[in-house]
Amino acid sequence: MKTIFLTILIGAFTMITAQSLDESRIVKVFSQFDPSISIRIVFNAGAQYDPVGKEGLSYLTAQMISDGASKVNTRSEILEKLFPLAASFSMNTSREVSVFCGRVHKDNFKPYYELFIQQILSPAFNEDDFKRIKQNTLNYLTTTLKYSSDEELGKAALYNFIYAGTPYSNPIQGTEAGIKSISIEDVKAFYAKYYNRSNFVLGIGGGYEKELISVLWNDLEKLSDGNLAAAPKISAKEITGRELVIVDKGAAATAISIGFPINIVRGQKDWYALAIANSWLGEHRNSSSHLYQVIREIRGLNYGDYSYIEHYPNGGSLNKPPVNVPRRQHIFEIWIRPVPNETAHFALRAALRELKLLIDNGLTQEQFAATRDFLKKYILHYAPTTNMRLGYALDDKFYGLNESHLARYRKALETLTLSDVNSAIKGYLQYDKLKIAVITGNGESLLKQICEEQESPISYSSAKNQEVLNEDKFISIFPLGIKIDNAKILTLDKLF
Amino acid sequence: MKKSLLILLVLMSVNLFAEIPEKGKKIFPFPYQKYSLENGFKVILIPFDSPGLVSYYTVVRTGSRDEWEPGKSGFAHFFEHIMFRGTEKHPGNVYDSIVTSIGADANAYTSDDLTVYHLNFASEDLEKVMDIESDRFQNLKFTKEQFQTESGAVYGEYRKGRTNPWEVGIEALRDMAFEKHTYKHTTIGFERDIKDMPNQYDYSINFYNRYYRPSNCVLVVVGDFIPEEVKNRVKKYYGDWKGSYTPPKIDIEPAQTAPRMKEISYPGKTLPMIIMGYKCDAFSTSNKDYLSTFHLNDLAFGETSELYKKLVLNEQKVQSLFTNPGPSRDAYLFEIYVEVKDAKDIQYVIEEVRKTLENFAIEPVSVEKLNKLKMRNKYGFLMGLDSPNAVAGILPQFITMTGDIDAVDEFYLGLDAITPDDILHSTKKYFQSRSENIIILKGERE
Repeated sequence: MKTIFLTILIGAFTMITAQSLDESRIVKVFSQFDPSISIRIVFNAGAQYDPVGKEGLSYLTAQMISDGASKVNTRSEILEKLFPLAASFSMNTSREVSVFCGRVHKDNFKPYYELFIQQILSPAFNEDDFKRIKQNTLNYLTTTLKYSSDEELGKAALYNFIYAGTPYSNPIQGTEAGIKSISIEDVKAFYAKYYNRSNFVLGIGGGYEKELISVLWNDLEKLSDGNLAAAPKISAKEITGRELVIVDKGAAATAISIGFPINIVRGQKDWYALAIANSWLGEHRNSSSHLYQVIREIRGLNYGDYSYIEHYPNGGSLNKPPVNVPRRQHIFEIWIRPVPNETAHFALRAALRELKLLIDNGLTQEQFAATRDFLKKYILHYAPTTNMRLGYALDDKFYGLNESHLARYRKALETLTLSDVNSAIKGYLQYDKLKIAVITGNGESLLKQICEEQESPISYSSAKNQEVLNEDKFISIFPLGIKIDNAKILTLDKLF
Repeated sequence: MKKSLLILLVLMSVNLFAEIPEKGKKIFPFPYQKYSLENGFKVILIPFDSPGLVSYYTVVRTGSRDEWEPGKSGFAHFFEHIMFRGTEKHPGNVYDSIVTSIGADANAYTSDDLTVYHLNFASEDLEKVMDIESDRFQNLKFTKEQFQTESGAVYGEYRKGRTNPWEVGIEALRDMAFEKHTYKHTTIGFERDIKDMPNQYDYSINFYNRYYRPSNCVLVVVGDFIPEEVKNRVKKYYGDWKGSYTPPKIDIEPAQTAPRMKEISYPGKTLPMIIMGYKCDAFSTSNKDYLSTFHLNDLAFGETSELYKKLVLNEQKVQSLFTNPGPSRDAYLFEIYVEVKDAKDIQYVIEEVRKTLENFAIEPVSVEKLNKLKMRNKYGFLMGLDSPNAVAGILPQFITMTGDIDAVDEFYLGLDAITPDDILHSTKKYFQSRSENIIILKGERE
């Protein structure tokens, strides 16, 4: 009964037009058992396209589409109509793309789709919504990010440090000055330029009827004429040594982020080799992480310590990698969650020492085999739902992969050798040229300790075995090699 | 064999329940088996079409609520950490290496009323998981040194949380709203108690022996397995678990007789925040007053409410507005959180919230809107059940309240039966001035 209804509905849609589909820009993940339908439309309209002086424009435009009125309905009316459908839609802006996402039960698809497509084809861009969304964004940048989460602030400061002066530098939400300078006319112009019929990839997943693809495609053909956006060149300033920025904000604890750009992306054979090494060193939110073992498990200095070879926003709230936040360039990143201020120097030394040991010695056969076997099954948890699989499939499109990333990953785990992994470590990781961002409460004193290579002894409230105490001696004098010329202190008002 | 398993997993298609139940019909869409061992250990088995994958949840019906001794707050959460330190048979590093070797997605969490340990993994590893999980629940062994080291990690977690002004506000709200009941402290505990944890090794063993008992725990297994095989293994691995459980005597909170309000400061910059809490009842699937608060939650404060439209969309005086209606094992609060854009509007916003509640105590809600909400609840619930982990993940809070999975159907059937008059009666009963608690939080920096 329901199926017949849906077929009639879709039939009615398809009679309207008959544009030819560009299959190269359509990603499908069909699942006959899934009672829901997921749609993800990926626009090349991420934060890297923000004009200079208007940082945050891509984010505001995306939010105006998902959280503002359409020409058909006010925001209140939209919320009222979505209410019984138990559904919503959202825009997720990242560096390269903005993704318009929705998921709804098949039963509710018709009324939902009407609302969904109106948002993207006919946003109202009214002043009231703009004022609200602009103010919320400004509040996020000036209060939430800078004062409520030192971990996210540390990561944002690191990216800002590494990519200063490039379109990869600022938070996705922009800068305080940039947001303030944006007008509703800027938003309309950004929409007209980037939300055009040539600048998206359409993704659809779940238990949809196949005719729905034409309906969606034909509707998106109603977007304005335009071109595929040309991505700006990203050339981070060369890192000359170990460079340090300390953000002194009177914090009671110290958050540390360390990183440098790596020129490798998923799909390349070495990426999977490097992924094994990275998983051993710092698997996200997992006690198998070696950094976690050294800093948290053995010494109890903080809540966790991880490393990354792909961008991983919102790591504090996610356990598995996010989808649809692709980038042409990634950084290798170490994330040390807040430690007591008095142990910050020690924790920084411990992390960099482990990185050096990994690069100098590589993995052992035993470490390699254990990590490989772990990943063989662990990556199966990355995409447990149709919606997540759709996200991965769209990312495959971004990275130009004909065979899916997860399938490649699994195959690579069957064939990679210890030698592949250790040569990837040598090829892509290093500890001579990297940047460190520290959010802390005693900036001047920490800077002095670090640049003067002062010893950073550590004491514990509990007894530790001799092995740990011996290692502590090495850690507490491990040379960081940060010259005073390569170190600076910033106050919060100098960020973003 | 292994290869075929992997392919199977990759191609897995989750067979979901597609039909929305009619009024009066049970909502939980999957057949299940439930039973208890002689030692009181409860087991719930839910076969689910997720080829090759299993979700395994152990629910301890103890959370920070059970921390009744002065100076000992935070221990339920602390045990969430300590439980990873291992046993004689599987010391911490061995436990970790087994979990790693099977690529399990493993974690744990603690709240007021429960502590939950969960793993997702391949079906072929089910016996291995039962071996290590049953062992640590029965034979946990940790040294004083391990205990003290872990207390450092817990303090690190506290430090991480303290940068969030909401956490600072909630801590103050509970401290003010409760005099006797252990809901006075948050799950992570008072800072003074966390600082003192390294000195509480002996107490921690006592805590384990008191609460990690078979009749205080429930096992939930969802996914691709053969129930009879699992039943035999449950008996093998958990059947010898000894020890009786005596529920703690938690002080009853005396009735609040006058409104309470406190202004606190946050050492940083934040938008002003208002956290309001009204004394409510404990979880129940039959108390219509209590069930009505879940509808009131959406109707009075949700994105389609008049209050949201007024304060967030039209006047734009409020950045965010959200609520927490529970559930909780003992009587707790109906919480309302508001982030205000300008401190001069704080009093105005509080009055608007009060006026809204007064209105809902006088004017019955529209039947049409209530029916839409009931439909929304059903679709929302069922749409969420899209993986074995998602199915297992919704159960602990129901199980911990009543000890039984039947609470899910009873709860939704109860919600379905609520009328506009019930909501009116409930609002009138709970949202009185004398049971009101308000925290106003302001940043120290401009």
